[in-house]
Amino acid sequence: MTEVADDTSCSTNVLDSALEQLEDVAALVDLHPDVLAKLRVPKRTLTVAVPTRMDDGRLEVFTGIRVQHNMDRGPCKGGIRYHPCVTLDEVTALAMWMTWKCAVVDIPYGGGKGGVICDPTDMSVSELEKMTRRFVSELVEIIGPDQDIPAPDVNTDERVMGWLMDTYSMQKGHSVPAVVTGKPIALGGSLGRAKATGRGIVFVTREALKTRGIPIEGARVAVQGFGKVGGAFAELIEELGARVVAASDVSGGIYKADGLDIAALSEHVQRTRLIEGFDGEYEPISNEDLLALECDVLVPAALENVLTAENAGDVSARMIVEGANGPTTPEANRILLDRGIYLVPDILANAGGVTVSYFEWCQGIQKLFWSEDEVNRRLEDVMVRAYHQVHQRSETLDTDMRNGAMAVAVERVAEAILARGIHP
Amino acid sequence: MSAEAHVQARSVLDSAREQLDRAATLINLPPGIHERFREPKRVLTVGIPTTMDDGSIRTFTGYRSQHNMDRGPAKGGIRYHPQVTIEEVIALSMWMTWKCALVDIPYGGGKGGVVCDPGTMSDRELENLTRRFVSELIGMIGPERDIPAPDVNTNERVMAWLMDTYSMQKGYPQPAVVTGKPVALGGSTERGPATGRGCVFTIREIMRRLDMAPDQSRFVVQGFGNAGRAAAHLLAELGPTLIAVSDSSGAIFNERGVDVQAILAHKAETGSVVGFPGADEISQEDIFGIDCEILIPAALEDAIHEDNAGEIKARIIAEAANGPTTPAAEEILNEGGVMVLPDILANAGGVAMSYFEWAQDVQKLIWTGDQINERLERVMVRAVNEVYEMHQRLDCSMRDAAMAVAVGRVAEAAQWRGITP
Repeated sequence: MTEVADDTSCSTNVLDSALEQLEDVAALVDLHPDVLAKLRVPKRTLTVAVPTRMDDGRLEVFTGIRVQHNMDRGPCKGGIRYHPCVTLDEVTALAMWMTWKCAVVDIPYGGGKGGVICDPTDMSVSELEKMTRRFVSELVEIIGPDQDIPAPDVNTDERVMGWLMDTYSMQKGHSVPAVVTGKPIALGGSLGRAKATGRGIVFVTREALKTRGIPIEGARVAVQGFGKVGGAFAELIEELGARVVAASDVSGGIYKADGLDIAALSEHVQRTRLIEGFDGEYEPISNEDLLALECDVLVPAALENVLTAENAGDVSARMIVEGANGPTTPEANRILLDRGIYLVPDILANAGGVTVSYFEWCQGIQKLFWSEDEVNRRLEDVMVRAYHQVHQRSETLDTDMRNGAMAVAVERVAEAILARGIHP
Repeated sequence: MSAEAHVQARSVLDSAREQLDRAATLINLPPGIHERFREPKRVLTVGIPTTMDDGSIRTFTGYRSQHNMDRGPAKGGIRYHPQVTIEEVIALSMWMTWKCALVDIPYGGGKGGVVCDPGTMSDRELENLTRRFVSELIGMIGPERDIPAPDVNTNERVMAWLMDTYSMQKGYPQPAVVTGKPVALGGSTERGPATGRGCVFTIREIMRRLDMAPDQSRFVVQGFGNAGRAAAHLLAELGPTLIAVSDSSGAIFNERGVDVQAILAHKAETGSVVGFPGADEISQEDIFGIDCEILIPAALEDAIHEDNAGEIKARIIAEAANGPTTPAAEEILNEGGVMVLPDILANAGGVAMSYFEWAQDVQKLIWTGDQINERLERVMVRAVNEVYEMHQRLDCSMRDAAMAVAVGRVAEAAQWRGITP
């Protein structure tokens, strides 16, 4: 799943559209101009050289970036990605989105993001480890459990987070598990993290169906993308009585009118990584047909920009829940709204991941670890509350759920900024 | 653990390493990790100049060993004893690593000691010694680094001095730097019976696994100190019948059962189990040969040895004490089909309770007694069942299984972290 975001990693206008989004919502909620001025610019940006001795003895100097967009509500939170197309603008935009995502689910974080310009597919494990440890050493003064807490992102995983935790801990002289989330369980990772994003989407979907008066029992669901997020979502929504009638990934799609056998499909995908070759009852379905399928809920859970101006007119779902980041282009969004399709936006729908990251950090700080049930219960509380707050705000503003989510998030950050005032 | 219980220091470290080697073979530990675990991460030796009551200055030697910190800060007691050596302290810190990992609390292993004879020292001298020792350790200990606790000849009063000295140097109260503190300073209300309670959870789970009927089981407690008394009282509540008890003065036996409340009262009143009206007096050595289902050695090291192991008729032995069974005795017991529930499992309730004390201090939220004991039960039940499953999977003794679980867990953390730089 880590390659998911690659497509847009090289796109050039991400910061422009992040700023545009902010300005739109500022107009909508009549944001205080001081607050808008502050939020347009990241609080702190650090660019570092990351000299790394490669296996062939040569020294390669990579460029690493960490952006802390806002810390008014708490320490920064956000992933670190390794990719050739990482740019300062991209990292800044992603940090800003993390500010909104943390605020919309009301966890006490600001937004951060980091990246190293490198091609990890072309590097050995030892080179990756050396680069990671040097990058962390350069960040040591600006990260920390009370300052800025990284997490996995594109091309980084729990192993990289283990190195980060170890490097930081060695410099501090004692173990500091709370400096990073997405760690291995053996180092203080949280139970329930693996399925957290999928589970969060389920809670939001359940509440959205309730709001729209659609019974979840028998609801027809189509899932585009059957990776960690889409797969977990499908399993859990089925447990609530919904029927997953279609699923697809890069290898193709499958459809069954009275519901696919999700347990068998998950087992197959876990084994072979792809839907292709699944030995069950189904009809093949193309990705385009899946997006146009008549169903109650459509969950794009893979790539960015899958719903576009070209195909948005064909969507026949009653509701879209954005499992992936940015699956709907702005033009598609307008078309879907005009057609009256209810859409639950990414910053709300897929915030289950960062929420369980928050729980991992809490557990690290309080040195007391929760059972998986407790983690899931708390996740439910957070997601359900956030959904209804966004729904309510979108009603009072007479706007859609995406604007509603941005309004809740930006207003929440603004309230913190105004309460704190400007120092000195 | 008792002060009298000291084996040759050199051999303690040797046997700690042998135990590790055995577990390493059992779980195919990578050689690099194995070599690393044979040595402590960090050992500090300090001189402790202390003003004595007669105005003279004596310099004692103190040690603190941090064996491993991959899973969290180091945890382990500080002992005061004339026979403390650096090797012994290192070996004990290694055992703490395994014990903490076994019950899956987020700690590495540590241990400390001062070479001194507290029996000949005044309170004032002990306090001077403690405060200076803590001052020397100051850069090395701390709530995030290394959290001491009571051990041989140290108690809650010594822990209070430690907490005070550390807090004065930091400039604010820092109760989480040490556990086993007085309740008034953030200590845990449930600490007293914790080791015995953990031991009883261990026994209960194993009885369930072995289909032993509690009502038809009889048990014997050797050693009637803190752990032995709590274990007797709590195990009897679950159904088994206490039939014999010993302490340092003697032993008593009644095959029809000993009234637990009455013997506890008698012990509290007279300081000994001897002279208890409801039972016959027997010799301390005879206690091992009594026909029973459960034997709880809760006193000194090496109580069960080559010469008495063959007499034991119990089905399970739950080691409430540290190291009550010698390796030679254990071989005899294993052959005879007696299941030994090893010390690092059966008496881990104490350190689990220490962990809860620290967690409460760190989160600045104090739990009720019931909450603490529920959590203790969860920790112990999970650990016992993990060890039992490992024992079945590897077809090995419970002690080997416990070491396999513990060492494997630390190795996993060490591997994830890798080596800095």
